[in-house]
Amino acid sequence: MKATYNFRFFFIAMFSAVLFGLSSHPIYAQDSIKNKIRLNVDYIKTMNKEAAFKIRASAKVDGSNIDVSNIELTVFNEFNDNKVKLGTTTTNSSGKSTFIVPDIKSIKPDSTGMYNITVSFKGDNLYKRASKSISYKDATIEAKITTIDSINYITATLKDTATDSLLYKQLLNVSVQRLFKLLPIGKEFNFTDENGTIVVPIEEGIPGIGGILTFEVTLKESDDYGTVKALVSAPLGVPIVEESTYDKRTMWSPKNKTPLFLLIAPNLFIFAIWGIIIYLIITLFKISKSN
Amino acid sequence: MKNHEALIKDLAPRKFGKRGVIWTSLLIVIIIVGIIAYIDQLIKGQVVTNMRDYALWGIYISNFVFFVATSFVGSVTVAILRLTNNTWRTPLVRIAEIITLAAITMAGITIMIDMARPDRLLNLFIHGRIQSPIIWDVIIIPTFLVISFLLLYFPLLPDFALLKKYFKDTKPKLSKWYGRLSLNWTGSEKQKHLQTKAIRIIAILILLTGIILQTIDAWLFSTTYRIGWDSSGLAPYFISGAFVAGIGALVTVIYVVRRVKKLEHYITDFHFDQMGKLLVLACLIYLYFNVNEYLIPFFTAKEGELTHLDTLLFGHYAPLFWFVTIGGLIVPIIVLFFKKGRKPFSMFLIGIIVVVASWWKRYVIVTPTLLHPFLPIQGVPKSWRSYFPSIHEWLITIATLAMALLIITLLVRYLPVIPIQRTADEQDELTTAKTIEP
Repeated sequence: MKATYNFRFFFIAMFSAVLFGLSSHPIYAQDSIKNKIRLNVDYIKTMNKEAAFKIRASAKVDGSNIDVSNIELTVFNEFNDNKVKLGTTTTNSSGKSTFIVPDIKSIKPDSTGMYNITVSFKGDNLYKRASKSISYKDATIEAKITTIDSINYITATLKDTATDSLLYKQLLNVSVQRLFKLLPIGKEFNFTDENGTIVVPIEEGIPGIGGILTFEVTLKESDDYGTVKALVSAPLGVPIVEESTYDKRTMWSPKNKTPLFLLIAPNLFIFAIWGIIIYLIITLFKISKSN
Repeated sequence: MKNHEALIKDLAPRKFGKRGVIWTSLLIVIIIVGIIAYIDQLIKGQVVTNMRDYALWGIYISNFVFFVATSFVGSVTVAILRLTNNTWRTPLVRIAEIITLAAITMAGITIMIDMARPDRLLNLFIHGRIQSPIIWDVIIIPTFLVISFLLLYFPLLPDFALLKKYFKDTKPKLSKWYGRLSLNWTGSEKQKHLQTKAIRIIAILILLTGIILQTIDAWLFSTTYRIGWDSSGLAPYFISGAFVAGIGALVTVIYVVRRVKKLEHYITDFHFDQMGKLLVLACLIYLYFNVNEYLIPFFTAKEGELTHLDTLLFGHYAPLFWFVTIGGLIVPIIVLFFKKGRKPFSMFLIGIIVVVASWWKRYVIVTPTLLHPFLPIQGVPKSWRSYFPSIHEWLITIATLAMALLIITLLVRYLPVIPIQRTADEQDELTTAKTIEP
């Protein structure tokens, strides 16, 4: 009887140990494999156009930083105990994603006038769930072109939208849009004055398609307001003249667009020389026949 | 003064001696080895060469430029000396014509060797753009080749007729061939008139096309925006260089032919003296253009040019550069200024140095420039930034040089190397002049 009791106890103990081992092992394994994702979120607003969140997902795997691609992220707007889903976005091969807010008015501020955004990742087989929250206030830049004594200036005023107050001593960058990069104009640092305004002279002779130049005034990566841009276009540039020689006869054209002088002169030369050669060969025949 | 019989006997082609057979066999062996190397290059592709993204043109192109330069000898000796009525040219012109034909033939072959896909050669004619100097080269080389052939052939007509007669009994088969090649030459007034007129036209034509050929050859380089080549003076620089290379080759070949064929009575010390003067003139002109080509970039001191010049004057290519400049130009000028220096044997030695220096000069023109592009090529192995020909390139190049020598050897074997009829006519004129004198 005692032996039976001992056997039952031993069997239950062993079975429990096996069950525990089987059930706990996957949990332990998953914990060791899954990595932690780091999310980086920047708010970018372009006046009269759109607002977007630039998101970057990265993780430290085996001691090195990698970009996390192809993960789905959900963007929420949180205000006064509400959490509203704005939409979803997926990272590209560089781990980057730009979530363009479908309707800027759909983002609501909380009672203090702050906008709270949370980007979250629900987790998958490789990565743990993660989220990142940012808060910002809304700012506006009003940019316009003014002309004083035949000199053109770009004037920009920065305001806090919620309080309608002018923002003093804020750094604004002014540049002209180019094909690949922005071309900075004016001083290196342009801080807003007590009127929240900067005035930057526009130098002459900047080329633009049809003479149109697009200026960009930017409050860059502000802790309070994020990035705010204002674009203003004006015909202040030197029109770019189309210099393509595609249809012209040039030295570098294809065969059918050879310059005429190069068609005429060498061919005349070739025909003249080969004409003489043929004459000389005929002379050989004449010599042969004239014995 | 020799009578016509003795003249023909002296100048008629003779069978190879033992040394001639060994020489010809040696050339044939070298050519066969070169052909094997070329077949291997065709099968495996140009990977067997050491040409890569940096050195796009290597030894083949420098060899091609050397052949083109050497072919200028025909234009110089035949055309210039004929048009200026220099009668001392007579025993030299035939050999000059032979060298011209051999050199331009090999230039055409060498450029095809440089092509990775020679089977696409026809595309150059079908799809070529006349704007490209390469197409001008493709046109001028066959043109010059035909003119060089006519330059050799027309003056040979009376000699072929004489040889037909001379070999009639001893070598009837050869006599038959000479007869065919003589185009029924009888020496009639009409034939003489047609021949004289044709030779005069060819003399002008060979000079004109010779200058065009050298110019196009130079433009192949100078129209390429590269350090060392981007020069408006490259065409006269090439022409003067060809002048030197051509005369150097002529002096060397003439010395050997004179010795082997025992032509000391016909090609005298006077001829070497005259050729020496011509060579020193050529060297002086070329030296002048060399100073232009190297001094001005050194003076204006653009960064790329200075790097290039540093490599040439003090760097990796300095031994070669100073050899071609001092050995190929300055030493000949100094030696040839003295009458003793213009004696046949010293002329022969100078000729050899000039020819060797001329060959390496083309290498110095082509290779260092390619290794100094304005924009360094990114992401290529370090070994691609230097160039020295591979074994395939050496074997093929030496074979082309052997082929040129074989063409010269065979033409010297079967053609009279000194114009027989013209020499006889000149002797007759001299005799008549002496008879008229009281």
